[in-house]
Amino acid sequence: MRRLYVGGLSHTVTQKDLKDRFGKFGAVEDVELRTRKDEEGVPYKTFGYINIDISDADLKKCLTVLNKSKWKGGTLQIEAAKDSFLDRLAQERQDAATQRLLQPAADDKSHKLLDSLDKAGVKNFTMKAAVPGTEVPGHEDWVVSKFGRVLPILQLRGQKGGKSRTLKYDPSKYCHNIRRLDQKTSDEATPITQLTWEVQGGDDDISKKRRGEFPHYKPPKPKKSRTDVVNSHKAAGGASLKPSVTPADQSESVQLTNRSQNGVGLRPAQERRTRFADSDSEEEIRRLVTAQQTSHDALRQGQEEEGGTLEVVGLDYMTKFGQKGGKEEEDYDSADTDEILASRNPPPQLTPTPPSKEKPAVNDTVRNRKTRTEEMKTGKQKVEEETDVTFRKVLSTQDKEDARKPKPSRKIVVETSYAESGSDEDKDHDSADSESSDSDSSDSDYDAMFSNVTHLEISMADLQKLAEVAQQSETTDDDITAAKNQSDPPEPRSAKKGITPEEILASIMGDNSSDDDGPRKKKRKKKCSKKSQLPAFQGTKVMKEMEKQEDEDGFCKDLNSKETKFKHKVTEDQENQGKTEERASEKMKTVASPQALKTVPSVKTTEHEEDSSSATDEDDQPVSVSTPLSSTSSEEDETEDIVHPPALHRDDEEQRVVTEHPLPRAALAPKEEEERQRKANVRRLAAVQQRQKEAEEHKRLIQGALANLDAPAAGAGKHIVFGSDDDDDEEDDEKEQLTVSEPTPLTKTLFQGSQSEDEETDEAAAKNTKKEKLLKSSGRLLFDGSEDEEDGDEDDGDMFDIKPQFEGRAGQKLMELQSRFGTDERFRMDSRFLEEDGDKDETSETKPSRAEDDEALEEERKKNLSILQSVLGSSEQTCSSKTTSKAKKFRDVSALHYDPSREEHAAFETKTEDVKKESKSARRKKREEAQKLPEVSKEIYYDVSGDLKDVFGQTTKDVAEEEEKINWDQVDEEEPKQEETTTLSSVVSDRPTEEEEESSGFKFSFFGDDAEMEITETAAEYKVESIKVSWQQDPRFHDSSSEEEDEDDADEQEEDEEQSSATCSATTSATNAESKQETTSKVDFFFFFHANDSRLTDGPRLFRRVSELEEQREQWEERRSSLRLEYRKKHKDAKRRLVSSLRS
Amino acid sequence: MRPLTEEETKTMFEKLSKYIGENIKLLVDRPDGSYCFRLHNDRVYYMSEKILKLATNISRDKLISVGTCFGKFTKTNKFRLHITALDFLAPYAKFKVWVKPGAEQSYLYGNHVLKSGLGRITENTNQYQGVVVYSMADVPLGFGVAAKTTQECRRVDPMSIVVFHQADIGEFIRSEDTLT
Repeated sequence: MRRLYVGGLSHTVTQKDLKDRFGKFGAVEDVELRTRKDEEGVPYKTFGYINIDISDADLKKCLTVLNKSKWKGGTLQIEAAKDSFLDRLAQERQDAATQRLLQPAADDKSHKLLDSLDKAGVKNFTMKAAVPGTEVPGHEDWVVSKFGRVLPILQLRGQKGGKSRTLKYDPSKYCHNIRRLDQKTSDEATPITQLTWEVQGGDDDISKKRRGEFPHYKPPKPKKSRTDVVNSHKAAGGASLKPSVTPADQSESVQLTNRSQNGVGLRPAQERRTRFADSDSEEEIRRLVTAQQTSHDALRQGQEEEGGTLEVVGLDYMTKFGQKGGKEEEDYDSADTDEILASRNPPPQLTPTPPSKEKPAVNDTVRNRKTRTEEMKTGKQKVEEETDVTFRKVLSTQDKEDARKPKPSRKIVVETSYAESGSDEDKDHDSADSESSDSDSSDSDYDAMFSNVTHLEISMADLQKLAEVAQQSETTDDDITAAKNQSDPPEPRSAKKGITPEEILASIMGDNSSDDDGPRKKKRKKKCSKKSQLPAFQGTKVMKEMEKQEDEDGFCKDLNSKETKFKHKVTEDQENQGKTEERASEKMKTVASPQALKTVPSVKTTEHEEDSSSATDEDDQPVSVSTPLSSTSSEEDETEDIVHPPALHRDDEEQRVVTEHPLPRAALAPKEEEERQRKANVRRLAAVQQRQKEAEEHKRLIQGALANLDAPAAGAGKHIVFGSDDDDDEEDDEKEQLTVSEPTPLTKTLFQGSQSEDEETDEAAAKNTKKEKLLKSSGRLLFDGSEDEEDGDEDDGDMFDIKPQFEGRAGQKLMELQSRFGTDERFRMDSRFLEEDGDKDETSETKPSRAEDDEALEEERKKNLSILQSVLGSSEQTCSSKTTSKAKKFRDVSALHYDPSREEHAAFETKTEDVKKESKSARRKKREEAQKLPEVSKEIYYDVSGDLKDVFGQTTKDVAEEEEKINWDQVDEEEPKQEETTTLSSVVSDRPTEEEEESSGFKFSFFGDDAEMEITETAAEYKVESIKVSWQQDPRFHDSSSEEEDEDDADEQEEDEEQSSATCSATTSATNAESKQETTSKVDFFFFFHANDSRLTDGPRLFRRVSELEEQREQWEERRSSLRLEYRKKHKDAKRRLVSSLRS
Repeated sequence: MRPLTEEETKTMFEKLSKYIGENIKLLVDRPDGSYCFRLHNDRVYYMSEKILKLATNISRDKLISVGTCFGKFTKTNKFRLHITALDFLAPYAKFKVWVKPGAEQSYLYGNHVLKSGLGRITENTNQYQGVVVYSMADVPLGFGVAAKTTQECRRVDPMSIVVFHQADIGEFIRSEDTLT
């Protein structure tokens, strides 16, 4: 069955034709004819498909015969055709049917797989308790994925360009982020109790911790705690504290630590705290970094504010090479601290703020670091130090609180806040505990504490008292140590604050004598100061020693356990004040003390209720002793507003000691308590007396020490350098040393005097003394060393001095020679080896040439400078030659220090005496001058010419005459009108009346000769110009032109005027003469006018008719006719002209 | 080697005064010794008297450089400052421009300073005022001429030139062979 395509048929071909034609080769089953027609219906292409049953041989035959054969007008084209689509469709359907038949076989295969998987322990493609990634046993391509799912490993065909042909996809490797969406089917989780192991109970610390029972106090790391403190402080401060305060606080706290460290660093005996120094330095660094950042930020902000990042600096902007960063930051810091200090100036009752600690701190850190290497011993010490740090921070914050908050009435607060304060103490105590037990506590303690901070102060005072008494009653040894410990602070303070120790002592003494009910604040302050007065240094050492011993013995543990026991006891009584449960047990202790206070107010006959109570407390519960102690330490600091770090340290240690001490006693039966109380009382009284004594002694000692201090200071002032940190430190050191050395004998005596019950104390004392000696010696050594160094320096200076034989040019040569030989004694160059002559010659030879050169250079320079001046256009003085220039060496003004020993620096001194002397002499002079009257020269220069009229009159006359002449000379050929005028003037001037008038010297004629004079003068003046400047109208000409206009009248008028003026002048002259006579004879009565002043008579004439009215009328009529004529004539002329102009 | 003529001195001083103003006086009239300017191969050298004397021992054609080269006279008798003078001029510079660290390199490759690279500028700088260019770490980098006044500098867009490049210390490497 084949399907053939037959093309190239004519459209006349029918199916039958095709059938017939192909029937020869096989059985034709079906013929399909198709004709393609164009748009008009004309067929252009006809082809057909034939289904034919044909064998291959027949097909070949058919193709050869029929293909490309001509049939009915067309060439046949026969090809094998594709199956008809219907056939194909049928085929497909058939295929589908067959496939359906095959399917069940595949299912069987998968079932097989599942079965095999089942065998391997896989159910529903999940395998329980299988770690992801494990292969299913027996199936290499199946892997367990997350949630126990079993997945196949896929072999993916790699990309064409890829390296490997197939990629292996292991689903177990990518299953870790798969989440189970369907939670229902999740396995029930094993409960935690079953899951984790259980810690077996043990009694030691670690096991307790494992069980989650943490001890109550953890001394946090310095950095952490610092931030905590700051934060908590913020919280306490509330809204009143601005965020900007926080950095200040930080720095402050740091500062405080610095100070403490300071004190430590200065004492060689207490170098244990080196670790602490380290932490401090770290803190400092951190602070610097933060400060820098903040400053940078600020700067950046500022920059951004003013026009982007562009910064515009002034002309005087100084560039700093190489010294950016550190120093500035330090400056900033110091400024900051200053501000802080200023801001936290305490209320006036309080002692002044502590001085800034910047300078010594640095030194100390260095020193401490040195010592640290030696002193790194036990972790316990570290912990201790840390606690110290925290302590100090707390205290500092408290200080701040104090300074800020107004003092409420004390008593109320005392009562209300007692319990709370107790809690605070507890914390202190905790710290002590933690020290001994080497345990940690949470920061929550701090937070809680700060909530109570406001009340703390007062309660602390009371507690301090308690502590005092307790200490005293406890053991003499303890007492002494405590006293010593507390005595430490005033020394540094006195040095720093400038408060004389005498004052302090006096106040203390007064306080001692005074009753307790006085003004509390004062007392407290004094008390602390008093305490602090007592000699120091031994106590800490003792304690340290003891600590060590105890530590070694594992004594601490015992103590700890006992304490805990005690705590448990007391917890029942406890009233909870919103404190955390951790601290509850400790609180109890402190709470107990106030209770005791209330319940047993009249137990003791001592001054203070509190004291007594504390005493009892102490006896009852040895642990409580430590609490007041700690409180005292903290309280001190608070009230004084100064933290005395060394004291603190010692206090801390003290606490420990105390806590340790009572323990053996706690074991004693309670019966003995009463007895002991009594004993304690007695002891306390004794101790008070002793203390007074001590105070006195101490006073004396300090006085002595100070006296000593002054002397060496004066002696040591060989080199004066102001503002260098090291020096200050040294001074401090000195002071410290002195103070250290002084109290030793005292303490010894004290120790001797005290009846020490415990052997420990004796031992401690012994050790103390030993240590002291050591200390002393070390201090001595230090000192000696420094002195030696100084000496050495001097020696060195001598060594480096230029010996006389090596001076000068020849000396240089000699020096070179010497250097060649080294320090060989045999070849020592003396002054004998100096070669003198040649040298001199050389110099003499070189001199003139050099002089020439110099001159040339000098000239050049001058020239240059002159050019420079011309360039700059400014006249600036040159700093002339070398003589002056030598003096003008560059000097850094900022680094300039006043050194009184140097002669140049005399310029900086203000010379008061000289000024005074000068002023005296000056004053004297001034006085004299003041007394002298200003000299007036007797020569008087006034030369008044006797006859003014000669001077003026003549001159005018002369001038007139001269001018006339000039006129005549020059204006000969000028206009005749001028002649007229000139002649007129000459005529006028020549008149006898005029002459007379002039002779009289008085002319009141304004029209007469004056006018003429003017005319002539002006003529004379302008004549010169008129020649040159033709265009300029001659003023005289102008004058005449006015006359010219009415020429006819002018003559008459002039004549008239002349007449009138003549008459006028005549009269005036007559009157003048008269008046003159009168004036001479008569006394003037008026200022401006005489009695018969001629002016009064003459004046009116100027504006009055001179001639008779009729005459004038006649004249006027005469003139009138003529004027009229003239006017008419002019009018006619004008008319005519106008007409003519119009016509033209 | 000869001293400068008056004309030459004037042109040179005029140029120098653009950068250091009247502080030239401090160069000419130094307190620590006598210094002078000398012309050699059209270049102006600033040297101390001592070196001047030492230099007399060397013949003119063999002498390449003596003292510090301040600059050279062009054929048209203008004075052109060399970067070698920076050490002497920078301390006395009146008008300074600080270049941001990012723009430092660009400047040291001989490019002008753009506003974006301008870190700081002396106030009241006039246009075409000679300036000394510093890095923000106050290291003098070279000479330039202010293309804009300080006030204009505030306003202009960041890609505009603020200081024209004249000489920079990169020339020590770039034109090592010509710098003497």
